[in-house]
Amino acid sequence: MLSLHPSDFWTLSNYLIYFLVAAGLFAFAALFALFGVYAERKISAYIQDRLGPTETGKFGSLQTFADILKMVQKELIIPAKADKWLFVLAPVIIFVAVYMGFAALPWGPGLVPSKINIGLYYVFAIISIETLGILMAGWGSNNKYSILGAMRSAAQIISYEIPAGFAIISAVMIAQSLDLQVISTQQGVASTETIKFFGFWDVTHIGGLLSWNIFRAPHLIIAFVIYFISSLAEANRAPFDIPEAESELVAGFHTEYSGLGFAFVFLAEYSMMFLVSMIGVVLFLGAWNTPLPNIGALKLADWTTNIWWGIFWVAIKSLALVGVQMWIRWTLPRLRVDQLMNLCWKVLTPLAFACILISGVWRLWLM
Amino acid sequence: MMLVKIMFYILAAVALGSALFVAASKNLVRSVFMFFVTLFALAGLYVLALADFVAITQIVIYVGGILVLILFTFMLSGRETLDAIQQQKSKLINLNKLPAIVLAVLFFVVMFIVLRQADVNELDWVKVAVAEGNVIKPDGIQIENIGVNLMTSYLLPFEVISILLMIALIGAAHLSRKEQEA
Repeated sequence: MLSLHPSDFWTLSNYLIYFLVAAGLFAFAALFALFGVYAERKISAYIQDRLGPTETGKFGSLQTFADILKMVQKELIIPAKADKWLFVLAPVIIFVAVYMGFAALPWGPGLVPSKINIGLYYVFAIISIETLGILMAGWGSNNKYSILGAMRSAAQIISYEIPAGFAIISAVMIAQSLDLQVISTQQGVASTETIKFFGFWDVTHIGGLLSWNIFRAPHLIIAFVIYFISSLAEANRAPFDIPEAESELVAGFHTEYSGLGFAFVFLAEYSMMFLVSMIGVVLFLGAWNTPLPNIGALKLADWTTNIWWGIFWVAIKSLALVGVQMWIRWTLPRLRVDQLMNLCWKVLTPLAFACILISGVWRLWLM
Repeated sequence: MMLVKIMFYILAAVALGSALFVAASKNLVRSVFMFFVTLFALAGLYVLALADFVAITQIVIYVGGILVLILFTFMLSGRETLDAIQQQKSKLINLNKLPAIVLAVLFFVVMFIVLRQADVNELDWVKVAVAEGNVIKPDGIQIENIGVNLMTSYLLPFEVISILLMIALIGAAHLSRKEQEA
């Protein structure tokens, strides 16, 4: 039965494109991690009134590249009492979970690696696999710090998935779709339905900043803040970095990792930062749509809406959010565990519920 | 279609192989992680059956929720308990395993007979649906269908399940509360 039809070749070349896209996304994740680590060091240096890396390359720009070269050469140390399989596989699972999330994210009009009509739900599901990888790393390391870090991380991610999920739902109720590309298209001049700024001013042909989800329904600003705070917790970023609190747990779940294993954990962390920022941008901040509105004859929005501008806008907005994440990390002190849970269950979750309710009312009466 | 068939057999093999490992392995924690592979392969099979919503729900609920909770209980229970479980004698045929074996064999027989007698491809309603074109297409949007049905035809079961979950939550809260003195 193994006979090839001409149509099979067509599908084969299709699959080749899929592989190329996947490789491209991986390259992007790796490059972004290199850039992210450099940016993080420079931003932290600026905030703490230091210089940061200056020696390697112009302004130290080759520093992270040198670091990764060093890391690749290093020995992969597996502790004698560790569960070898779990220990080695864990960083891969952590990274792959984040990396698979990129498959559904839209980069521009008609430009999305995998067009699935429940894309948002898929991303949400895939991210939850990361927890499993972290638990695997913690258990596999056979180290008390690692296990404590892993358990804290899992507890934190599971708790904060709830306010994040509700914030996402309140945006989805406005958008009425789980397809990230549909959600994106709705927030600009390419939209096929009428968009109303704050529910009263028709801005369908004006577009720009005014048609972003946070301005279509102002309570989504609160939802966005809730989502952003929860995404910090899900990415284990400060002020929610108790899973790797270096003053108490050495380095948390990745204490025992060296060389490539550590590199993968790092790659996953920075990819995760970009991933959660990009989801936030797609859901609340207009995705690949331009912030510039049409003003009379000056069709700024029409001029700046196409594939290339789309990639540019979505990248700029996501990078800006990543920048805010870094700024927060070097500004705010770490939360205690009880404060963490209080914030999640007593502040964010009720607020997110309120957002869902308002979304329902908004959809029924104002749209 | 051929690729779909190949995918199906690969996924089925992965699901069965990992499930066997889960059942046979003496290392409980590894079994749990292997169970993750089984669940993932099952999710893949759902996708092949065009039930992508079910597939993703499977990942959210089982991988993101239940597996993580199982792991939590493992990590809270400590090494000694786990070691005790691992030191059980493991002969293939063992009096302790008799109920499990009987159950498994009976279940297999039931499944086999059902599969033989049902003759899935020749069912009347399937034929009618195919003739009328009342089938799910790969590019169809399922989620609205699911939402509308949950809120209309299946509203009562849906609400009953939410009450069940509520009862479980209240029970858990009650059990974990500290005993009041006097």
